[in-house]
Amino acid sequence: MPGLPGPQPDPTTEGYWLAAGRGKLVVQACAACGVHRHPPTEVCYACGSLEWAWDPHPGFGTVYSYTWTDRPVVPALASLGVYNVSVVELDGTNGVVRLLTQVTDVEREALVIGLPVEVHFDPAGEGVALPVFRPRTKEA
Amino acid sequence: MLELRNQAAIVGIGCLPFGRRGEFAGKGLVRLAVEAITAACEDAGINPKDVDGYSSYYSSVEPAELMAAFGAHRLRYAAQTWGGGGASMCGAFQNAAMAVASGQADYVVVHKVATMENTKRYGQSFGQIGQGVGAVGGPFAFSVPYGLQSPGQMFALAVRRHMHLYGTTSEQMAHVAINARDMARTNPHARFREPITVADHQASAMIADPLRLFDFCMESDYGCAVVITSAERAADAPGKPAYISAAAAGAPFRFGNALMSFYNQPDPDFASSGHRVVAEELYRHSKLGLPDMDAAMIYDHFTGMVLMTLEDFGFCRRGEGGPYAADGNLSLEGPIPVNTHGGNLAEAYTHGMTHVNEAVRQIRGTAVNQIQGATNVLVAGGAGPAPTSGMILTGER
Repeated sequence: MPGLPGPQPDPTTEGYWLAAGRGKLVVQACAACGVHRHPPTEVCYACGSLEWAWDPHPGFGTVYSYTWTDRPVVPALASLGVYNVSVVELDGTNGVVRLLTQVTDVEREALVIGLPVEVHFDPAGEGVALPVFRPRTKEA
Repeated sequence: MLELRNQAAIVGIGCLPFGRRGEFAGKGLVRLAVEAITAACEDAGINPKDVDGYSSYYSSVEPAELMAAFGAHRLRYAAQTWGGGGASMCGAFQNAAMAVASGQADYVVVHKVATMENTKRYGQSFGQIGQGVGAVGGPFAFSVPYGLQSPGQMFALAVRRHMHLYGTTSEQMAHVAINARDMARTNPHARFREPITVADHQASAMIADPLRLFDFCMESDYGCAVVITSAERAADAPGKPAYISAAAAGAPFRFGNALMSFYNQPDPDFASSGHRVVAEELYRHSKLGLPDMDAAMIYDHFTGMVLMTLEDFGFCRRGEGGPYAADGNLSLEGPIPVNTHGGNLAEAYTHGMTHVNEAVRQIRGTAVNQIQGATNVLVAGGAGPAPTSGMILTGER
């Protein structure tokens, strides 16, 4: 996004970011108990296992909270205009998974908590992309 | 088990006149700290050389500089609690109380100073993380690239959720700001003393929807310090001691780096100030309950987060913070007056130090809006990531 840095993958998070770079949404899943978690961490909060896998996710969810940024935080971000930062809760996960993201292609009045959304991707550097969401166009 | 209850006391408070953002930049942080600590020691009736412990939160002036500058006879204790901004501020008092009660030090200072240059505005500090770099790592990799760059946006997410779950309104939040201005009217040190109305609040600029300008605290330059000693030594202090009945820092299950970069805490805690565990700890250790409180000093960086703090401490049921504030319960006529000095919203923003000072003044009987016979005062640190914090001060052992 203009004026903003991309994410810097590390050994724990690169599975997530590189999948997004390939246009796929994945969620970190505990290899022992199957509980999903986000953002990626080293250890399962439910069972303590240090092993994990990346589960593909269909990319459907609903808006959990949001804010519109009417005033640029730093002058360099003025080119972004008025934008939203939103929390999206993914459908069908094993345990709650919410992502901080943006909802694109949405009028201010249309962005409400509970709005069904679907993932798409915003390129954010070589091989990585940001999962972002828009109002659903496809059936879940 | 050893009990900390009333084993330590605040015997000195010092606070420099407040400045506009950047006003004291030329003075520098060490000078501000030295002046504030000198004032607090004078209030406590001790020489700064007698300070043998420092307990800090989110500080940038180290004990190494201060003990050398003052020529302290010796240093025996130096601690810093974890957490961002003023969220964990009462954790510094918890550590100070444990130190003096267990004989690790005689006099421990908690101090906090700030001066902001143009490039270092509070609200822009996160914004700077993303400037001039190609990529951001660590937990902020999941927030900064999306443009989540300021505390206002972060707390707006919690406030929006609270509005959705409980029907809280912007007009209800206005009453937190109105109360702060009403309290500050009689405070000669307060920076904003003009009263405001709900209409003024609604007319103020939208900044991080649903948060308007008047939902935000101000930015200030300041220097504040507090002296803590054991209850035994406090008996020799010139002023009435404010005993630390309990002080706690903590957070509920999976609260983590809530709102800064973590959004996966249980739903009731997402739309909260994160004080649920702290409240339980304070009431348990102090053997006091909310009905015993004569006043409350609630960290008020954002109006909406005050409503949630009131809920976490049991002033009202979860979700009823908005109507509670709108019904006038925060005022001097309310059951437990809140922020009798004007708080961060009207007096000055000091990362919580002035909330402690005001609690001490209420117990001493020297507050500008004095509550007759005030004995027990609740202090709440800022809503924010783990750990949040709180403290109960009392005039009776």
